[in-house]
Amino acid sequence: MSLVHINILIAFAVSLTGLLMHRSHLMSALLCLEGMMLSLFILATLTILSTHFTLANMMPIILLVFAACEAAIGLALLVMVSNTYGTDYVQNLNLLQC
Amino acid sequence: MNLFTSSTLLTLLMLITPVMMSSTDFYKNNKYQHYVKNMTLLAFITSLVPMTMFIHTNQEMLISNWHWTTIHTLKLTLSFKMDYFSLMFMPVALFITWSIMEFSMWYMHSDPHINQFFKYLLIFLITMLILVTANNLFQLFIGWEGVGIMSFLLISWWFGRTDANTAALQAILYNRIGDIGFLLSMAWFLHNTNTWSLQQIFMLSQNPPTLPLLGLTLAAAGKSAQFGLHPWLPSAMEGPTPVSALLHSSTMVVAGIFLLIRFHPLTENNKLIQTMMLSLGALTTLFTAICALTQNDIKKIIAFSTSSQLGLMMTTLGLNQPHLTFLHICTHAFFKAMLFLCSGSIIHNLNNEQDIRKMGGLYKILPFTTTALIIGCFALTGMPFLTGFYSKDLIIETATSSYTNAWALLLTLTATSMTAIYSTRIIFFTLLEQPRFPPLMNINETDPMLINPIKRLLIGSIFAGFILSNSMPPMNTPLMTMPLHLKLTALTMTTLGFVLAFEINTYSKNLKYPYSSDSIKFSTLLGYFPTIMHRLSPHLVLTMSQKLATSLLDLTWMETALPKTTALIQLKASTLTSNQKGLIKLYFLSFLITMTLSMLLFNYPE
Repeated sequence: MSLVHINILIAFAVSLTGLLMHRSHLMSALLCLEGMMLSLFILATLTILSTHFTLANMMPIILLVFAACEAAIGLALLVMVSNTYGTDYVQNLNLLQC
Repeated sequence: MNLFTSSTLLTLLMLITPVMMSSTDFYKNNKYQHYVKNMTLLAFITSLVPMTMFIHTNQEMLISNWHWTTIHTLKLTLSFKMDYFSLMFMPVALFITWSIMEFSMWYMHSDPHINQFFKYLLIFLITMLILVTANNLFQLFIGWEGVGIMSFLLISWWFGRTDANTAALQAILYNRIGDIGFLLSMAWFLHNTNTWSLQQIFMLSQNPPTLPLLGLTLAAAGKSAQFGLHPWLPSAMEGPTPVSALLHSSTMVVAGIFLLIRFHPLTENNKLIQTMMLSLGALTTLFTAICALTQNDIKKIIAFSTSSQLGLMMTTLGLNQPHLTFLHICTHAFFKAMLFLCSGSIIHNLNNEQDIRKMGGLYKILPFTTTALIIGCFALTGMPFLTGFYSKDLIIETATSSYTNAWALLLTLTATSMTAIYSTRIIFFTLLEQPRFPPLMNINETDPMLINPIKRLLIGSIFAGFILSNSMPPMNTPLMTMPLHLKLTALTMTTLGFVLAFEINTYSKNLKYPYSSDSIKFSTLLGYFPTIMHRLSPHLVLTMSQKLATSLLDLTWMETALPKTTALIQLKASTLTSNQKGLIKLYFLSFLITMTLSMLLFNYPE
């Protein structure tokens, strides 16, 4: 693959790691999720434009729409958590603990 | 020759008869004491026959009577060895026992169980004679244990007294420790020389290794109160005075020394054992002489004097002189028994007062006892040409002129002068000065049952040394020439001791005791030996056993090892492996690791 692709893939991997290994705030997980979406969008657009794959010109835009909805849901959940506990610490999500 | 065997066996049989009569009516009335005393007298006269035959012909005899058992190759018979030692010791022991029995008819007159007392004394005498005449180690052991048991029964004669019971128990325990050594040597001899009979042992092991002789030395140290196993002897003074006179001065305590004398063909080849005996004896004699210097009980002073003389006997054995040791045993028996009888007379006359600080001025009141006491003390210290001189002076001469350990010699000489010092102490405190006892005392010494025994032993104390040493054939070349200062060593040390003690006693008798001194505490508390050994080691052992039983066994092995550990493991595992703890981070982390691993594995399969 070319250098550009490697670069974007590394960005994706870094965001994935940040999503899975966040420390205490739920907000950082949501931010990393947005980062993953963004890097995916850039990767798809670059590949489709450079290979002149015209039939798939719409895919990145639809991806962006769904990412925006999902971000809205995530933020709503964050607001709900923050209303109950005052902060968005992940360790507060322990109602199922036995 | 026929008379030899029969009179020896008759002596032993005569003594058994009164013991067997104790189940009859004869035992209940007052005649029993006279019967026992007369039997002992007759046994003494009968035993003079083999003794004079032996002196005349110098022929030893071995009487092997009854074949008891044969276990594989070990043959055990009832055998008596009549050689110089047993034939000379038997009349001496019987004479002294006869005198002591007559004395105890006066001393124990008001005791309700006096017949039992005489029976015990007789059983003791029988077992002692079994020990002395034994030809094999098994028979010797029977006599050994017998004298130990009779010592226990006689020390605790007044068993209502706690101190008497403790003392008897102490005697048994210390003797038991010595018995370990005895059994060790018995086992060694059985294993290596296949026999317990003395003749075969002497033939088969000319150069024995140290181990059996070490066992025998331990046995002698236990029975004869050498240093380390000595505290039982002063405690044994809790028994009545006849018991102290018979057992713990003349007869029983020399059993250990006698055992080593019996084994002299083995010890004369082993230099290590000789050095060990020399050092042990020298240490004992000095230590007990130091302890005797500050005792206040007259019987304890004489007991320590006995212990000191036993140390001297052990030293002589270490110089490879068994016959000289035996001579000292016989002469020492006479004057030591007499000293005890005199102290018994003093104690009984002063209404059972034993503390010398409360006696005094008996010089004019009890003239006969005074005479006997002074002659006994002189004989003890080795005044020339009394009894003690013939053995003690010879011992010191041999020690100073032999190629031996100078330290042991120095200790022995110091102990010799200390003998004179404590003898002076006894004489000074009991006989001289003004009386210190309450005035209304009924003092008399007119009873013939008191006077005659002391008179007989007095004659023995003066002449027995001469007679015995003239009847002894010389066993090794005596040293004929020595420098004058070596010859006069014993006399010089003794005179020094007498003069020193008399001076100090005279000018310090009205001064106050400086009790804060440490050296006097060392001497009065017997060198701290009973304090440490009787309290510290039982305490340590009991504490250790308590810790082992409760902490180690009960708490650890029974409780914690299986039940509590299993419970703990189960609890931890169940808390670890139960789910839904809300550990989101852990779940995300595991997802990441799985993905990374799978990508690596699928992309790089080789």
